[in-house]
Amino acid sequence: MNLAPTPTMVSSGPAISVGDLQEKISIRDLSFYYGDSLALKNLTLSLYERKVTAFIGPSGCGKSTLLRVLNRMYDLYPGQRAVGQVLLDGANILSPSLDLNLLRARVGMVFQKPTPFPMTIYENIAFGVRLYERLSRSELDARVEQALRRGALWDEVKDKLGASGLSLSGGQQQRLCIARTVAVRPDVILLDEPCSALDPISTAKIEELIDELADDHTIVIVTHNMQQAARVSDFTAFMYLGELVEFGATQQMFTTPSDRRTQDYITGRFG
Amino acid sequence: MSVAEINTALYNRRRRRNIRAMAWSLAATAFGLGWLVLILGVLFWEGLSGLSLSVFTEMTPPPGADGGLLNPIVGSLVMTFLAVLIGTPIGILAGTYMAEYGRYDRLTHVVRFINDILLSAPSIVIGLFIYEVMVAPMGHFSGWAGAVALAVIVIPVVVRTTEDMLTLVPNALREAASALGLPRSIIILRISYRAARAGMITGVLLAIARISGETAPLLFTALNNQFWSLNLNAPMPSLPVVIFQFALSPYKDWQKLAWTGALIITLSVLILSIIARVLAARSSRSS
Repeated sequence: MNLAPTPTMVSSGPAISVGDLQEKISIRDLSFYYGDSLALKNLTLSLYERKVTAFIGPSGCGKSTLLRVLNRMYDLYPGQRAVGQVLLDGANILSPSLDLNLLRARVGMVFQKPTPFPMTIYENIAFGVRLYERLSRSELDARVEQALRRGALWDEVKDKLGASGLSLSGGQQQRLCIARTVAVRPDVILLDEPCSALDPISTAKIEELIDELADDHTIVIVTHNMQQAARVSDFTAFMYLGELVEFGATQQMFTTPSDRRTQDYITGRFG
Repeated sequence: MSVAEINTALYNRRRRRNIRAMAWSLAATAFGLGWLVLILGVLFWEGLSGLSLSVFTEMTPPPGADGGLLNPIVGSLVMTFLAVLIGTPIGILAGTYMAEYGRYDRLTHVVRFINDILLSAPSIVIGLFIYEVMVAPMGHFSGWAGAVALAVIVIPVVVRTTEDMLTLVPNALREAASALGLPRSIIILRISYRAARAGMITGVLLAIARISGETAPLLFTALNNQFWSLNLNAPMPSLPVVIFQFALSPYKDWQKLAWTGALIITLSVLILSIIARVLAARSSRSS
């Protein structure tokens, strides 16, 4: 029995109806602790397959923390723990017996700052692929090209695949990171403020990319930028002080939010 | 009172104070550098004149004869090489544990504390220790004992630099690699080591520089040998010990060779330090 206040679920937005939606990740009564301090309070929400869900909210509201639960990134650090259930295709990913590397191969992540590995552009992509698949040289070449195309980077780097990943511009590096993530063929892609370190043109490119990736990936994006959330996402979750205040179709949230705090936030009254 | 007036008075006073502080700092720097220049000057003056090809091709001579430093040079190279071969893997593995696997463990703090003590332990203590555990039971001085004594000096240096350099690798890079589902071992080998490579090599070079001048640990372990010897089970010559012996002798030509040997060590350390600097600069540029 879930006694937590249930966030408003919009049943009939103009563009989306619940009937077509397939639940990919189901978060049930999730709480998260940094040591003794409670960072997420009993969250329950669903992330839908091949949809873009945005987490918005003021700094410190827990949106990045929630994202880092979805691929158990928090496991790298001591003293951080999650309580509750997160079901990915019905299997609880918080289970201690879960193989973290396999989980992370299925749930990819792109970070706020571009993090190319200190190796060539080609190797940046091939590195992760080689670990899970035994491909011939030509298959690997094809996979690298495909990933770079999906990352909208191929045309810019096809003549210098042997150059260091660090030699690219910030926006290119971030697209390289997206391509690298796509290359291992995850089901879910988590984006942690992927544009906050980029200029407007690079940002526009990445937003376009998110749109295309949503054709065959479930995407979760954390963003500080409400216009961005409105532009790229199908669903939006508004979080405040570790609580999920409101969750629903993006259009609905931005036009007629049901909670006062959501309205205040999206109209810029705080945050 | 206008703003400009207040500013000038205060500004001038502060400026004079600044000039005074800078003058003192410069004087202190010049004082320190002066001694260094004097030492190097004397070393070059005395050592350079003895530097010739025969130094590198002939054995240490008896007093009054011509000769070179070939056997101690080779002995030093052999023992240094072995010490690095023994000490580097241990140091790198321990440093890797501290920075990667056990970064938040209690054990890491304990190891770091002990390592810092070892890092500054007087090298004569290390010589005595190896004398007790190797030379005394074996019944004779040996090149092996010398190499192990030097390895004990190498380990803490390499542990320290490895840990420091790996700690400098941004966590974002580790997270990004984990996010691809890469196992820990691959992340360390292919990402962390690659990012920290130059710094880690620098650490090994500094360790070599450190042991190439060590005399005390070799006096108790490898001892010395006036003749050509590559037998590691026998006493082995080394440059620092030969310098020590020849410099204290009353013979002019031995003293000359001691100066030359000192110059050779100094130049090698200088070259190693320059390489280390270049590597460090290159790594900080690429990351």
